[in-house]
Amino acid sequence: MGIVDRAEEAGFITTTLDKLLRWGRSRSMWPVNAGIACCSLEMMTTGAGRYDFDRFGIMFRSSPRQADVLIVPGPITKKMQPIVQRVYNQMAEPRWVIAMGSCAISGGAFADSYNVLPGCDTFLPVDVYIPGCPPRPEALIYGCLKLKEQIANTSFIGSAARNKALYVPPDLGEEWPDELLRQFGVLPADDSSEGGSRDVGEVRDEG
Amino acid sequence: MVNFPRSEATGGTETLLLNVGPQHPSTHGVLHFMLEMAGETVVTAKPVIGYLHRGIEKLAENRTWQQVIVLTDRQDYVAQFSNEWAYCRAVERLAGIELPERAEWLRTLMGELNRITSHLIWYAGVTMDIGTLGTPFIYAWETRERIFDFFEAVTGARMMPNWMRIGGVRTDIDPALLADLRTFLERDFPKECDTYEALLTGNEIVVSRMKGVGVYTAEECVHLGITGPFLRASGLARDLRRDAPYGAYAKLDFEVCTDPVGDSLARCRVRLRELRESARMCIQLIDGMPEGDIAVKVPKALKPPAGDCYVRTESPRGELGVFVASDGTTRPYRYRVRSPIFYGLSAMPRLLPGHLLADMLVIFGGIDTSMGEIDR
Amino acid sequence: MSAALWLRTIVGLVALLALLAGVTLFGVWWERKFIGHLQRRRGPLHHGWHGLLQLPADMIKMIAKEDTVPTAADSLLFQFGPVAAIVPAYAALAALTFAPGIALIDMQHGLLYVFAWETMLPLAFALIGWSCANKFTLIGGLRAAAQLISYEIPMLLAALGVVLTAQSMNLTTIINAQTGWWYVFKQPLGFVIFSVAMLAEMNRSPFDLPEAESELVAGYMTEYSGMKFGFVQLAEYSVLLVGSYLIAALFLGGWNMPFLPASWLWLALKIVLLMTSTMWFRGTFPRLRVDTLTQMSWKWLLPAALVNIMLVAALALWLGPKVY
Repeated sequence: MGIVDRAEEAGFITTTLDKLLRWGRSRSMWPVNAGIACCSLEMMTTGAGRYDFDRFGIMFRSSPRQADVLIVPGPITKKMQPIVQRVYNQMAEPRWVIAMGSCAISGGAFADSYNVLPGCDTFLPVDVYIPGCPPRPEALIYGCLKLKEQIANTSFIGSAARNKALYVPPDLGEEWPDELLRQFGVLPADDSSEGGSRDVGEVRDEG
Repeated sequence: MVNFPRSEATGGTETLLLNVGPQHPSTHGVLHFMLEMAGETVVTAKPVIGYLHRGIEKLAENRTWQQVIVLTDRQDYVAQFSNEWAYCRAVERLAGIELPERAEWLRTLMGELNRITSHLIWYAGVTMDIGTLGTPFIYAWETRERIFDFFEAVTGARMMPNWMRIGGVRTDIDPALLADLRTFLERDFPKECDTYEALLTGNEIVVSRMKGVGVYTAEECVHLGITGPFLRASGLARDLRRDAPYGAYAKLDFEVCTDPVGDSLARCRVRLRELRESARMCIQLIDGMPEGDIAVKVPKALKPPAGDCYVRTESPRGELGVFVASDGTTRPYRYRVRSPIFYGLSAMPRLLPGHLLADMLVIFGGIDTSMGEIDR
Repeated sequence: MSAALWLRTIVGLVALLALLAGVTLFGVWWERKFIGHLQRRRGPLHHGWHGLLQLPADMIKMIAKEDTVPTAADSLLFQFGPVAAIVPAYAALAALTFAPGIALIDMQHGLLYVFAWETMLPLAFALIGWSCANKFTLIGGLRAAAQLISYEIPMLLAALGVVLTAQSMNLTTIINAQTGWWYVFKQPLGFVIFSVAMLAEMNRSPFDLPEAESELVAGYMTEYSGMKFGFVQLAEYSVLLVGSYLIAALFLGGWNMPFLPASWLWLALKIVLLMTSTMWFRGTFPRLRVDTLTQMSWKWLLPAALVNIMLVAALALWLGPKVY
């Protein structure tokens, strides 16, 4: 919602809207129905009868456009990485990422493989890590409730929300052109003297 | 604009390249189908695999013989016990280890239960593919949960048990648990099976959509090396549990389920009957469970003599072959898996053309793929 | 127009909008709850009393979601698509009479008016499917067009039977003609044809081919995010409401109830029951294939509808309008 995201100062209207947004967004998290490996089975288990994600308003959507949360359930291979990245890019803002299981966190049992990335946080801004191989459905629910807490406690007013959208992965940040970073306000507009002083790591300010 | 190729099959009109997957609700993991479509009809189908290639076979060369079991669990995450079992049998044969009888029976019990859970996942998948909103899916999942409770009580883990050991199994099963399981399999499970049959093969819409769709003859299956329920649904009664018995199968009374038709519906019928057969076998296993040790002593630094061996087992998806080679050290020299459904998938380019998009997904869902096993 | 008429129109429009929004919110909640219980689970539970606040939360989220427009999409048509879907859906509500005398406009040819707007929807869905530059939406949009057009014909023919008997296209007259026997007993064949065709018209399972989740991801809505997706859903629920209303009004006696005084409550009850039964179908049935779908319409429903009309006309001539 533009008013809230663009507002630099918190006024009465923006804070009220912000409260409403936090309430709505935290209570309606729709994950993408993107199964990758073993953990996707536990993800489905959580959606099925005994654990029932729908109780918390968590409903799987197959189209990334309509989803809010990307649960990464499995090891990311080098061939899969562009696909996951694309699914993430297709999702509409605001969006969150849950790294489910050791493979998505660090590569897990396949950490020393030649084809598995050491975790999905190498290219995605992960909000919640759920350890386990695979995590139990209870753990996944706990992780989702933690994310709900995080959303409910994060103000969407002003720069925090924008910076979240502008997350630059640490290792990719080097490759981003300066003009682009300046345009988005990551680098100060007048600072054209040197490009090496930017501190990409601090972009992700979630308050 | 992209110029689409013109196809002879459609009378010279343009065809459409449709990418189904890797992120698509019906690809059961991360399979990618490149479909050349004429309207809704598939002209050519090309499965693209490798999105889940984790290099398990190479990783195994850097693990000790026992540590590989961790990887075999994750290799096919739908049939964990079958994969553990295949690997352990290969190593045991290589090292010349004889198992106590109880260990064999326990392994067979878990293997059959695992066949049930695996078929239930197939059932959940195929009913989703055919367009239900998830009601049969959730019913199947609930039964799977009951069996997973048992797995958890025995092995301590729901999905990745890491329970079989070279030379036996890790933990014994409590008699009370076995009794509980027996009650469940005898009293509740057949009722659940009735529900599954009513919702799948008993539903008129399903029958009209599956009958005569995706017919594959036994001869074609043999040419491609297809095994398991896929082959048995084409009329050839080939089952390693009966033809080359291992574990406790030689002492069990069971029927090899076949169907002469070879279409999608036949594959459903065979798997649904196998559910009941497996439950029947589990009951026999529980009743006849011998007393004794659950494992033999095997040195921690196991060094099988140099050599190699190839062992076949009947996994829920077909003939799962494991080849291990040893150079006399504590690590495998080579570990290679013959994944059954990889061969099933290779039938897709021949099986799918001419079918509608909706049928294509049903045929594909009906063969029960697991991408973890194909890509490894 | 006089000031009173203006006021009445505006109040009526707002009331209809509120009705549509209320039915959608309550309907989605009820659907998730009902199907949840069909599937041996609870459905929305923790946000509000038994999850009643779930839908407001979803709506707030959707309104505040980023509005993505794919680069390759036809931007103008893409933006226009949800409007094209929501306008006919909303406009069709204007002619519905909910109780004797309670309607925005009690049109002389209300039935025709409703059908006219409903037939605009496949156009909107095809438009949406085309504009997204996505192959899944394209297939979904074309499926929607093919399906809705082939089922409109038997639906209209089945409704014609009722019009013949009631000798009016006014919804109030049609409902009042059913104070005795409902038309479902007089024209059972027409009822079956109309219900099946209406189910297809609502895109409900087993006719949910345009948005077939397992085949087409989300069908023609695949590329829509945020409130555009919400609008398309709103349009779908409006069709569900109008469809259930029409079945109740044309065949199930509208606000009439045997042995009890006529009241809008009966109509509401019938609509709720009909909507619930479509949800029941949705939770139970698999999907038809696209060729069986069109074949069923052209080879079975259409001839049956023609037979129905001839039968109704012959009976009406033979027995006279007073009896039949």
